[in-house]
Amino acid sequence: MSLQIQNLALKYPGSSNFVFQDLSFELKEPGFNSLFGPSGVGKTSLAKILTGDMPHFSGRIGHEGMTTFFYSYNTERLPGWSGVGKHLEKITPAGRLERREELISIFGLEDCLRQRFSQLSLGQQNRVNLLRYLLQDFDLLIMDESLANVDELTREKIILRIKTLYPQRHFLYISHNVVEVSKFCREIVVLRGAERHPQSIVIRGQDARIDREIDRGRLDQTMLEIVNASS
Amino acid sequence: MLLHRRIYQFLIIYAIGLACLLLIKYGLGLSDYVIPGPIDIWHTGTEEFGRYFFDVLNTLAVAVAGQVISIFIALLVGIAGRQATWVGSFIKVAAYNVQAYPIVAIAPIIFILLGDGLLTRLLIAAMICYFPVLLSVIGIMAEPVVDIEHFYRVTGRMRWQLEVKIRAFENLNKLTTVIAGSATLAMAGTIVAEFIAANAGIGYSIRVALYQSNLAKILVALFLIGITLSVYQGVLELSGVIIRRAWTGK
Repeated sequence: MSLQIQNLALKYPGSSNFVFQDLSFELKEPGFNSLFGPSGVGKTSLAKILTGDMPHFSGRIGHEGMTTFFYSYNTERLPGWSGVGKHLEKITPAGRLERREELISIFGLEDCLRQRFSQLSLGQQNRVNLLRYLLQDFDLLIMDESLANVDELTREKIILRIKTLYPQRHFLYISHNVVEVSKFCREIVVLRGAERHPQSIVIRGQDARIDREIDRGRLDQTMLEIVNASS
Repeated sequence: MLLHRRIYQFLIIYAIGLACLLLIKYGLGLSDYVIPGPIDIWHTGTEEFGRYFFDVLNTLAVAVAGQVISIFIALLVGIAGRQATWVGSFIKVAAYNVQAYPIVAIAPIIFILLGDGLLTRLLIAAMICYFPVLLSVIGIMAEPVVDIEHFYRVTGRMRWQLEVKIRAFENLNKLTTVIAGSATLAMAGTIVAEFIAANAGIGYSIRVALYQSNLAKILVALFLIGITLSVYQGVLELSGVIIRRAWTGK
């Protein structure tokens, strides 16, 4: 299950500037990977191309063995006519009740289930939204700032448990937090903009796991590489 | 609270209108035959109140029926027209173009085809009310609520019923405002129908008063129309608030 991007080019209709031009990279194995780069560099556009939501591009996308791609983002909402718990019940596929309860516990959402989505804090809303995607069948889940507004400790707990629960799935985590992506991601695709060559650099992250401590020195080294690549 | 506000707002506007009329009367020295004095208006009011009140209720009943029919059809057509198919596009374009035409001008054709009576009043009321409601419903139903719909769409859970429910829920305020506003249109449509094609209702009574050149009767009829419509719109708005509270929990 690898994800290959070859010579990808994208230009918005009516614009003379390329968002990408000749963008190529490969993520060979499933795992928790990241798309990193400054605002406006095309992270969300690339995510939408991958999920088939943006048709006007050229180049080749290879996704051997993968069929279901989801894109989740941090401003998504649940309908407001009933409580969060009821919505989660309705979208839980058969046989996933235990997984739902487990995720609710990991995400710390037990107290939110009776409330309506609009009554939750932004961090709680983002957790509820991500949780419902994790209950579905997917091969690649793109998390575009999906854990924004969640406190650091809870975010760390959630990411580490996701990695344990879904070792064979592809994740693309879009975040502007260099420490976070360096620490938790296996590979970090740094997007650098259409005017630079190469347009992307893939950097090996520290891929922290529940059962594996990371080396502080190596983490610093990864962060430095990311900053250098994106600056 | 809404009901209360509607009524006193109408009373203020009516009082201002009446004061302007009397100002013109006394300012220009017009006779009671042209603009009756306050005592004349009061006497006519006490004499005609009962009869006009039931006439207004008669008109309101037809207007409500016409409004219900037009809202029901507008919802059906609006839901069908929300899709980005050629049928949806055709419905939208047709609705925009027909809406631009003053439907009231078609009223005489309906009168010629159907004669006077209940059906003609009902049809004209429904037609005048229908197109503005349809435009609003199409506008609401054709606008995706991307942040909510995205999940259901990508996971293959989106059904047309859910799509309609999401869009209606997110635009509940707009929908209740449009429905309350369409009450005026339905009432106006019914009165117009009664002017030309009826032997009942307050529009018919106004036509008779017009032939008698009796402005006092017309003013009393206008007062009753206004107060009844205010109460009806207030009740609609109140119902909207109750539905919204029950559905949204706030």
